[in-house]
Amino acid sequence: MPDSEVVFRVSRYRPESGGRPTFQEYRIPYRSDMVVLDGLNYIKDHLDPTLTFRWSCRMGICGSCGADVNGRPRLTCGTYIRDMRKGAVTVEPLSNFPILKDLVVDFDDFLDKLASVRPYIVRKDWGDLSKEYIQYPEDVDAYRQQSLCINCMLCYAACPVFGASPEFVGPAASALALRYIRDTRDEGGAERLARLNTKTGIWECTFVGECSVVCPKEVDPAAAIQTLKFLATTRHMRRLLMPGSASR
Amino acid sequence: MTVHEYPARRRRGWWLRNPRYLAFQLREAGGVVCALYGLILLNMLIQLRDGESAYAAFLNLLRTPPVLYLNVVLFVLVLWHALTWFMLIGKAQPIQFTRQPLPWKVVFGINVLLWIGVSGAVVYLIFGGM
Amino acid sequence: MHADVAAPDEVLLEPVFWSLFSVGGFITAFLLPVTLFLLFFAAPFRLWPGDPAAYATFLAHWKEPLVRLFFFVLIGGSLFHGTHRLKFMLMDAGFKGPAAEALLDLILNGVAIFGSLGALYYALRGWLF
Repeated sequence: MPDSEVVFRVSRYRPESGGRPTFQEYRIPYRSDMVVLDGLNYIKDHLDPTLTFRWSCRMGICGSCGADVNGRPRLTCGTYIRDMRKGAVTVEPLSNFPILKDLVVDFDDFLDKLASVRPYIVRKDWGDLSKEYIQYPEDVDAYRQQSLCINCMLCYAACPVFGASPEFVGPAASALALRYIRDTRDEGGAERLARLNTKTGIWECTFVGECSVVCPKEVDPAAAIQTLKFLATTRHMRRLLMPGSASR
Repeated sequence: MTVHEYPARRRRGWWLRNPRYLAFQLREAGGVVCALYGLILLNMLIQLRDGESAYAAFLNLLRTPPVLYLNVVLFVLVLWHALTWFMLIGKAQPIQFTRQPLPWKVVFGINVLLWIGVSGAVVYLIFGGM
Repeated sequence: MHADVAAPDEVLLEPVFWSLFSVGGFITAFLLPVTLFLLFFAAPFRLWPGDPAAYATFLAHWKEPLVRLFFFVLIGGSLFHGTHRLKFMLMDAGFKGPAAEALLDLILNGVAIFGSLGALYYALRGWLF
């Protein structure tokens, strides 16, 4: 039994129109345990089936449902309406991405950047694959935090550098690069640092830090990027001052 | 029928949308002000070489209102740069002395204490004490 | 240990200037506030016995090599730190693209380098020559 109602202001954009996004208001029944995604699904199921948005697991692990809610990038499945300030709940597509339709953004560019840091174990020689690669708890601790990334792209929406410079590799891709660089099973550190040591790499970052503030999994990509700057610099200086030496 | 993507663009006034963005812009401005003071200090050394009247004239310029009050504003930005620098060290901890990173507020506190100590050392070693 | 792999578009000097920016950040954070306070605010606001910036007082301290080194490090650090920040502020404000960035690099790093050399000159002048 709903206690009351809440107003949702949702950004609409029709790709056939070529115009600008506009807001549409919906009044929906409100229960105190509702999240923003529940509201969007109510609208789609009962009021307006044309409303288009991404979602999947509804429990904060798939990374599909990112949107700007009341001006801040959030997962709609993890944002309780009761935590929003009184008044309308405003839902817009994630900032800094091209809009395909309504709340759906184009993130092909992000996938390219992710691929560019080779987010998987890279080895020259895999050896005997029937043998186990031993990792001790401290080995896993070294990359655990960065491994929690769910590719939800809230950090890209929060990053003003990415907003102004879309070529910037960005927080999540950088954090995942560090995750693999720090994995004891991996041998691809040098090539990832080489990719990040470019004009589209980590040097664009000015440590605003908002990426780490909005991250729903506490990956702390801001700290990861500063660590990468340090690693990239030591590799770079070694290459400049001692050319031809081996490095990781 | 053609289909149009609505292009991505960063909002004007993005840095007014939350207090952390504003704090960041002020921090960056504070960093630039440090360079300005670098040039001012360099000029002070040049005037020192030129003799007492040149040096005194330059110093008086900096200490007379309204330039003095402008300096106060710039000094506040330098202080903000210093405080945010200590916070950033806490948040990044590029060189770790402990196994797991310490909470950033602890590192911030340690840096503030170091700052007080270093400032005291500067007072006595560079400026000859009180 | 494995052979290094290079990307075709790696930057050359950015890590160097970032390192100088970082060191400069420490230098300015720890040393600039107290210095500015003593030189520009202590006497005008009567917050200090005496005036550390008075000509005779300052000149007496300027004889010490430590003081000369201090000011060289402070000026150099401030310049490398602040010009790096200014470069990124200007680029963020729209001064972008390879030509713009090359121009900013040249001018801003030029100011930092020449300013630091100038500080070194005045630090050594009257002491080593």
